[in-house]
Amino acid sequence: MAVEKEHFVHLARPLAPTMGFASSAPLTVNIQPQAVFSVIDHAVRRDTRDTQSTRVIGALVGTRSEDGSEVEVRSTFAIPHTENEDQVEVDVEYQKNMLALTLKASPRETLLGWYTTSHELNSFSALIQNFFASPETGTFPHPAVHMTLSTEPGAPLETKTYISAPVAVSADRAAESCLFIEVPHKLLFSDAERSALGTVGAAADLESRAAPVATDIETLTASLENVSGLLERVSAFVGEVLDEERHGSHALGQYLMNALSLAPKVSSTQVEADFNNHVQDVLMVSYLANTIRTQIDLAQKLATSQLIGFDKPADGDKKDGEDGGRQDGRGRGGRGGRGGRGRGGGRGGGQQREPREPRENGE
Amino acid sequence: MAELQKDVPPIKSVQVESLVVMKIVKHCSSTFPTAATGSIVGMDNNGLLEITNAFPFPTADVSNTDGHQTTDASSLAAAAPRAKANIAYQKEMIKHLKEVNVDANNVGWYTSATMGNFINLNFIENQYHYQRDNDQTVALVHDVSRSSQGALSLRAFKLSKEFMLVYKEGKFTTESLQKSKLSFRDIIVEVPVIVHNSHLLTSFLHQIPAPPESAEIPIPTSLEDIQRDPAQLPAHPSFDILDLSIDPFLEKTCDLLLESIESHYSDLNNHQYYQRQLTREQFKITQWQTKRKAENAARLAAKQQPLPEDEWQRLFKLPQEPSRLEGMLNARQVDQYSKQVDSFTATITAKMFAVRGNLLPE
Repeated sequence: MAVEKEHFVHLARPLAPTMGFASSAPLTVNIQPQAVFSVIDHAVRRDTRDTQSTRVIGALVGTRSEDGSEVEVRSTFAIPHTENEDQVEVDVEYQKNMLALTLKASPRETLLGWYTTSHELNSFSALIQNFFASPETGTFPHPAVHMTLSTEPGAPLETKTYISAPVAVSADRAAESCLFIEVPHKLLFSDAERSALGTVGAAADLESRAAPVATDIETLTASLENVSGLLERVSAFVGEVLDEERHGSHALGQYLMNALSLAPKVSSTQVEADFNNHVQDVLMVSYLANTIRTQIDLAQKLATSQLIGFDKPADGDKKDGEDGGRQDGRGRGGRGGRGGRGRGGGRGGGQQREPREPRENGE
Repeated sequence: MAELQKDVPPIKSVQVESLVVMKIVKHCSSTFPTAATGSIVGMDNNGLLEITNAFPFPTADVSNTDGHQTTDASSLAAAAPRAKANIAYQKEMIKHLKEVNVDANNVGWYTSATMGNFINLNFIENQYHYQRDNDQTVALVHDVSRSSQGALSLRAFKLSKEFMLVYKEGKFTTESLQKSKLSFRDIIVEVPVIVHNSHLLTSFLHQIPAPPESAEIPIPTSLEDIQRDPAQLPAHPSFDILDLSIDPFLEKTCDLLLESIESHYSDLNNHQYYQRQLTREQFKITQWQTKRKAENAARLAAKQQPLPEDEWQRLFKLPQEPSRLEGMLNARQVDQYSKQVDSFTATITAKMFAVRGNLLPE
C-alpha cells in the first residue's frame, strides 16, 4: 500500500495542481456484488461474430466519498467496442447515452471508470483509460478506476483495480500511454444482499445451476441441519481429545468454554412459563389472522352471491325490513338503515348482504 | 389476448438470473422504505420465462425525506411503470441493451414490498398495462422486510386470464362478478421462481466465502487467533433465519392486517351508502310512477291523452354501484397476510421448541 502511494505522488498529474493527490487517489475500491455479476453477465454475452477481441469493456458507475479516497462501484453497463491488432473502437455515443440513462435512474451516482474482462494491460487499455479520465468525457478531476476481471476458462476469476497516471516520452504520445497503478479493492456485501446471495449460492451448489426460491421453512430446515452438523463436528473433536486420539488445543477449549458460558442460567419454571407465553402469543396472532381471513372471505362470497330462494324479488321490500331488524337485533354495534340495502327489485333481485366486519377480532 | 394464448404456451415458471436478483435486491433495499420499481427483460422459452436483466425506473429524487414527501415518492414510484416518460425510458434502455446482446424483450416489471403489502390498485394497473400488450409478462415482487429475516423473498405474479377480461370491461359490479364467477382468489396467479446462474458466475460464487476445502485446518495457538480471524460463514444456508426475534414482524403484520380491516370497513360503508341511495331513488321512482299512474287515470277519465309512463328514466338517475375491485383486492391482501403469519408461526414455533429443548433437557 505504502509503495503504491509513493508511486502515485511521484507521478502526480500536472493537469490539476490544486488537487491534493494523496487524498484524491481512490485508496479503496469497494465493489458491490451486482456490479461483478453484471460484468460476468456481459462477459458471457460477448459478441464473437464480428470482433476478434476476447474481452469486453463497459463503464463503472457508483458513488465516491467526499474526499475521493473511497469509491463504491454500484453498477455497470456494457459498451460495445471492436478491437483488433491495429485499432480499437469504442462506441462513444453509446457510452454517453447509456450513462445519461443510467444516471437518470440513480441520480446520486457518477461515472467512476471502466472495466474489461482480461488482465492484459496494453496500449489500447491506456487509450481507453485516458478517454475515461479525460475532463470532457470522463471522471476528471478524479482519477478513473480501471477494473479487470479475468474470465479465462479454467482459471479462478480474479479482480484487479487500477488507477492511472500519465506517462509519456513525448507530448504527442501521451494520449496512448499511461501508467496503471494497482489499488486495493474489496467486495462488499450488504445485509440485504446476504439473503439474495444465499439463494444464489444455493443454486451454485447444484449441477443444474438453478434453484427455486426456498420458503422460510425450507431455509430453516437447511440452516438447522447445517448447525447440527457443525455441532456434531465440534463434539466429535472434543470426544477425540477426551479419548486422547488427538491433541487438544488450549485456544479452542477456551473458545468453546466462552461460547458455552453464554448459555443463560434461568430456572426451568421460568423457561417453561416464557416459552408457553410466547408460543401462545404467536399462535393467537396466527389464529386471529386466519379468523380475519375467513371473515373477509365470507364477506366477499356473500357480497357477490345470489341468495335465491331466500329472498324473492317479489316481496323484497318486506323481507328487507325484516333483515334489517334481524341484523340490528344481533346487537353487534349495528346501525340503522342497513336493512334497506339490497333492494334490488329493478336489478333482477341480486340480493347482497355483507356480514359484519370482523374488526373485533383484529384487536 | 385469447388469440395469443393459442400458439404460445402460458408461463409455467420464471427463471431469474442471479444478476437480476442482485440488481432488484440492491435497488429495492437502497430505496427502502420507499417503493422501488423497474423493468425486466428476458425471453419466453416454451412456458419458461427467462429473465436475464433488469433496470430501475428513474424516480424523483427525494433528498429531504419527511413523511409527506416519502409517500409522494412511493406513489410516484408505484405509478412509474405506467408513466409516459418511463415507457419512453424503457424503450430507449432496451434499444441500448440490445446493442450489447442483452435480450431485448420487455417481460414485465419488478417492485418492492414490505411484509407482502403489494396487492393494490397500482399493482393491478401496472401489470394490466404490461399484460395487455403481451401476455408473457410477470411482475416480480421483492419483499425487503421478509428478506431481512434470512430467506430471500422474491415472487412472480401475473393476472389471471379471467381477470384480464373483466378488467378490460372495467366493470366490477355485483352483477358482472356473478356472471363471470370471478373471486378474489383468481385475480393474480403466482408463478414459481427459479434462480439460475451462468457457468462463469457459478465458478465465481465458489470463490467467495465457502467452507474450508480440507477438513484439517491448523489448530489456532491462542484465543486471539480465533477472534482476529473469525470463520467465514458461507451465505448459504444462512444463519440469519435462526434469529429468534419474530415479534417485530408479527407486530408489523398485525398493523397491516388492521389497516386492511379498516379499508374493508370503508369499502363496506361505501356499499351501504350506495344501497341506501339506491333504495331512496327507487322509492322516489315508485312514488313518481304511482303519481303518474293516478294522473293518467284521471286524464283517461277526462278523455285526454295519457302522459308517457317511462319518463322517470330521464328524471331520476340511479346511483353508480361502487367498484367491487377494491374490496376484492383487499380480501386477497388479507389472504396473503394471514398466510404470511402462518409461515412465521411455523418457523417460530420450531425455533421456540428448539430453544426449550436446549434449556430444559428432558
